[in-house]
Amino acid sequence: MNLRVHLCLLAASMSVIVLVGLTGCGQGSNNSGPGGGGKQQGGTLTIFAASSLIDAFGELGKTFEKQNEGVTVKQSFESSSTLLTQIQQGAPADVFASAAQEEMDTAVKDGLVAGDPKVFVKNREIIMVPKDNPADIEEFRDVANPGVKLVLAQDDVPAADYALQILDKANAEYGDGFEKKVLSNVVSREADVRASVNRVVVGDADATFGYKSDYTPDIRSRVKVVPIPPDLNIIATYPVAALKDARDPELAKKWVELVTSKEGQRVLKKWNFEPAA
Amino acid sequence: MKERSKEDSSPRVFPWGDTLASGLAVAALALLAGFVSLPLLSLVVWTIDRGAWQAITSPVAVDALLLSARTTVMTMAILLVMGTPAAYILARVNFRGSRVINTLIDIPVVLPPSAAGIALLLAFGRLGLVGQYLNVFGVTVSFTTAAVVMAEVFVAAPFYVRQAATGFGAVDRTVEEAAMVDGADRWRRFFGVTVPLAFPALVAGALTAWARALGEFGATIIFAGSFRGITQTIPLAIFAEFQSDIDAAVALSVLVLGFAFAVILAVRYLTARSTGDRG
Repeated sequence: MNLRVHLCLLAASMSVIVLVGLTGCGQGSNNSGPGGGGKQQGGTLTIFAASSLIDAFGELGKTFEKQNEGVTVKQSFESSSTLLTQIQQGAPADVFASAAQEEMDTAVKDGLVAGDPKVFVKNREIIMVPKDNPADIEEFRDVANPGVKLVLAQDDVPAADYALQILDKANAEYGDGFEKKVLSNVVSREADVRASVNRVVVGDADATFGYKSDYTPDIRSRVKVVPIPPDLNIIATYPVAALKDARDPELAKKWVELVTSKEGQRVLKKWNFEPAA
Repeated sequence: MKERSKEDSSPRVFPWGDTLASGLAVAALALLAGFVSLPLLSLVVWTIDRGAWQAITSPVAVDALLLSARTTVMTMAILLVMGTPAAYILARVNFRGSRVINTLIDIPVVLPPSAAGIALLLAFGRLGLVGQYLNVFGVTVSFTTAAVVMAEVFVAAPFYVRQAATGFGAVDRTVEEAAMVDGADRWRRFFGVTVPLAFPALVAGALTAWARALGEFGATIIFAGSFRGITQTIPLAIFAEFQSDIDAAVALSVLVLGFAFAVILAVRYLTARSTGDRG
């Protein structure tokens, strides 16, 4: 115990020395922008969002900055599980948008969330293959064919969790060790869903599980979609919440409002998400 | 070295300026040593505190350690076989374009590993410049252990070749020539005279190259992907576990710390003994 206390003190003083000495901006981030002198407006809103939201939230970030003059929106897009770990470790986030209930539930249980999370969109999974389809995947069942190079997101990443649920259902329907065959085709586990989609975009993987919303315009010339039968598919629900440690709780709340507003829903729909209601 | 000899010859007085300067130097050293050792210590403290020991023997950790050991051994074998003669030529032969090649070999040192990974992918990936032809012959490199070794060789080669070339360059040519006069052929001269004389530099180069290969992350995860037992080396396993199980990530870090420490100690011991035998 004594050792730990000493270590903490040492670590604290060291980091203070290093931070102050090297960057000299201990408080700089809070009142940056010398132009904002007299007004109370401004500030930064930091959003941690599931990687599948990168395009839609990117667009909404600009909308938000237009609506709230002087505010800068900073966003970090990674797998919901990674973001949760970072928030648990005290990362300075104001809003958390997860691609699955599980991560948000954990955040609520750990007392990290302010108020109740709101489900703001739904999503479904699809199979994506390179345009030239080297493994001849014409329908969902074909991902079990021997030799298919399948890429999945890492364990605990929502996109992978959903994929496993789909395989579980498919196994019951197709039988014959379907799930096992598919899983033995996996050649790589990627950090998040967008990373696994990119493996198909660059043509190294034969197939991957992604969200419907991941089939964005800029990859359509290189990627083909193979649908998953509706009775086997899952419905991914995306909750969003302001975080307890938000530097500006009002701004954080405003983001949740924007995302659930008509305008927010319009943008999300444009990027292939389904409305929550 | 020079400064020390100068100091030795001058009378030893300690004016205030000197005391202050040496005090600052000692403080800087202490700060730096603390800054380096504290995070390492924290790893061990966390592991003991949270009882994360069993994570060290988890299948993920064992697979990652074995893969890291296997791939870095292959990397070193390739580097020793290819890098040693290459370094010798760089050190001894002044051919046209040797400057360009010298610069080229150093590039992976300054290139961010993630950029190296993208470059490898665009060259050897399935649709890559070379990869598309390999693919015609049914050879695909991505997602295989071979891709891990390629990434490691790419980033680690300069560290070995550079130090080996410097070592060869420092070998006194007259000693080599004397061996020639004594009737040694080229092979015996190289292995009997040049290599032993350059040995400390070769070992130092090999050790830094190995360390670089062991720590390889960016190029591997981009070029080779991440799959347990095939491409998930220790750094990749740490990254993967950090997202689901911090205790396991910490335990893996302790494991690689111990592994690196053991290898460095072993090499130091072996080289000390071999140079001692000779001297």
